[in-house]
Amino acid sequence: MQKKRVNLSNLAKREERLAYKLLIPSLIILLLIAIYPLGQVFYSSMTNRQFASGQETEFIGFENYRRLLSVRVQKLEPLLDENTGEIIRDPETNEVLRERPIDVLPREPFRYREYRQFSLFGNRYVLGATDPNFIQAVINTINFSVVSVFLELVLGLGVALAVHNNFKGRGLMRTSMLIPWAVITVVSARMWEWMFASNRVGLFNTVLYAVGLGDGRMDFLSSGMSQMSAMIAVDVWKTTPFMALLLLAGLQTIPDELYEAAEIDGANKLRQFFSVTLPLLKPAMAVALIFRTLDALRVFDVFQVLLGQSRYSMASYNYYQLIGNRNMGMASAIGVIIFILIFVFALSYIKALGVDSDD
Amino acid sequence: MTKKSKAKKVGFYLLLAFILLYLLFPFYWAVNSSLKTEAQLQMTPATFVPRDPVSGDISPSFQNYRVIFDNQQFVRGIWNSTVVAASTTTLALVAGSFAAFALGKLRFRGRKPALYIILAMTMFPQVTVLAGLYAVINALNLSARISMILAYMIFTLPFTTWVLTSFFKGLPSALMESAQVDGATPFQTFYRILLPLTAPAMVTTGLLAFIAAWNEYLFALTFTSIDPGARTVPVAIAYFSGAVARQEPFGEIMAAAIVVTVPIVLLVLFFQKRIVAGLTAGAVKG
Repeated sequence: MQKKRVNLSNLAKREERLAYKLLIPSLIILLLIAIYPLGQVFYSSMTNRQFASGQETEFIGFENYRRLLSVRVQKLEPLLDENTGEIIRDPETNEVLRERPIDVLPREPFRYREYRQFSLFGNRYVLGATDPNFIQAVINTINFSVVSVFLELVLGLGVALAVHNNFKGRGLMRTSMLIPWAVITVVSARMWEWMFASNRVGLFNTVLYAVGLGDGRMDFLSSGMSQMSAMIAVDVWKTTPFMALLLLAGLQTIPDELYEAAEIDGANKLRQFFSVTLPLLKPAMAVALIFRTLDALRVFDVFQVLLGQSRYSMASYNYYQLIGNRNMGMASAIGVIIFILIFVFALSYIKALGVDSDD
Repeated sequence: MTKKSKAKKVGFYLLLAFILLYLLFPFYWAVNSSLKTEAQLQMTPATFVPRDPVSGDISPSFQNYRVIFDNQQFVRGIWNSTVVAASTTTLALVAGSFAAFALGKLRFRGRKPALYIILAMTMFPQVTVLAGLYAVINALNLSARISMILAYMIFTLPFTTWVLTSFFKGLPSALMESAQVDGATPFQTFYRILLPLTAPAMVTTGLLAFIAAWNEYLFALTFTSIDPGARTVPVAIAYFSGAVARQEPFGEIMAAAIVVTVPIVLLVLFFQKRIVAGLTAGAVKG
């Protein structure tokens, strides 16, 4: 038996070379589909590039961003009678007549459109934006994320606590929790679309009418507030089980001894929840929260399927600019804005958890 | 005392029943609607089981299911989705297990930054590269199916690599050393000895990758916009229209929804322990 003499440093080098070789396929794929396109997006966001047009692409600096993000508040002065100098009022409603937003908002360098009017200290103002759709999309997305993630956390915690108990049929319960999660998002959107139908062929109108609420012809998917509520309802239904699973995993790491000790000390269930469960569940909750928030900020499927072009999320507006308008420059700028927003959240995630630095 | 605890128990089971109802009812409603004919769907108020419009007797119909399997768009969609999701899973597992072995068991310079990059990539927001990726695909003239398979690596590859890396790390190093003493090269050690041991983790990550790819809508919608023949299930269902031009055929849509959901649900129920473990380990998107 003759053992091969192995040069140690040679072996280490071979190991290193093998490691690089094994990493190459992943590296090439990620370079092609993530890193390079990301660079492309950053660059294109500074150009007026269009798809399928003969127009030459020019470098235009931050113009796309200015077009997307410019907002301006302008006071709407009352109209004065040319002869008397008095404020003109509507003869019927007695309301003060004011300048029209379209006359007040600047047209240069980009045309501002009315986003919304509001009153403050007796004056009337108009909030103008160069792209009210995008401003609305950002607000929609943030509202959607905050409300749905909050509801999912509360409901998910409730479900997790319930399922954490010992009872007959627990296995069945945990199994059925996975069903909403397993339904394709587009499919769940269409399932809810049908339940939201605008007359009593739909579930909600049938039930609400039967219990005496509404006229049986509520159109949930066409007006502002109820559109957002519908989006949130679909998302909460689909994602609460996921949240509950993450929290359940957290609950299972809390040792029973702690509850026993608390019991001996005379703490009741509520007290136990606040001084044992909640503090120890914090890490699991943080992970779940941040993951869900990152996910909610890029919401696309439900908005696109249920609302199309009547109300956008940031992602569905991005899609509309790219495919609907063939405006690659503008779509790229939207991509960059989403990226920055999500990047800030992701950094906080990495900071909160840290990479497993191992041995 | 016993009365109180009994009441508590009843309350608890009521709560469970309520949770169950909330989680399962929308799915039940879809099943219910899929078994109704067009006339039954238009009945007001809507009925909780398919009923005959005249007599009120329970009368489910499988008409919708027959129709959707004659719908070329839908049948093609299932085929496209299967091909795309299966290829995505395979590619992610092969490339991911290579990278994971290197990151989990080999020593090399730059290992830590590589780990950081992978972790950061698991949170990469796909939508931000949409425009850039679309441009790359147009420039390379890739077909829609290939584009989807490649694009889906954005969310499957980093996750697969991340989970498998921690799995490889957990395998005893003695295994590798003894194999090397026996004269095996590191790569032989990898695919002869370590890889079979990672089978459970492969099943978990593979399933999650498959489901994620089966679910994906944004890229699928974008890349198939010029090639309707390559539409996957989510796109087909979003664009679903009946054989005859009329208002949205919700009975058929619900039937299609059930057909594409049931296999995934069965898969999930069958592998539920693994899936839950995988989800909580990597906290992947749902």
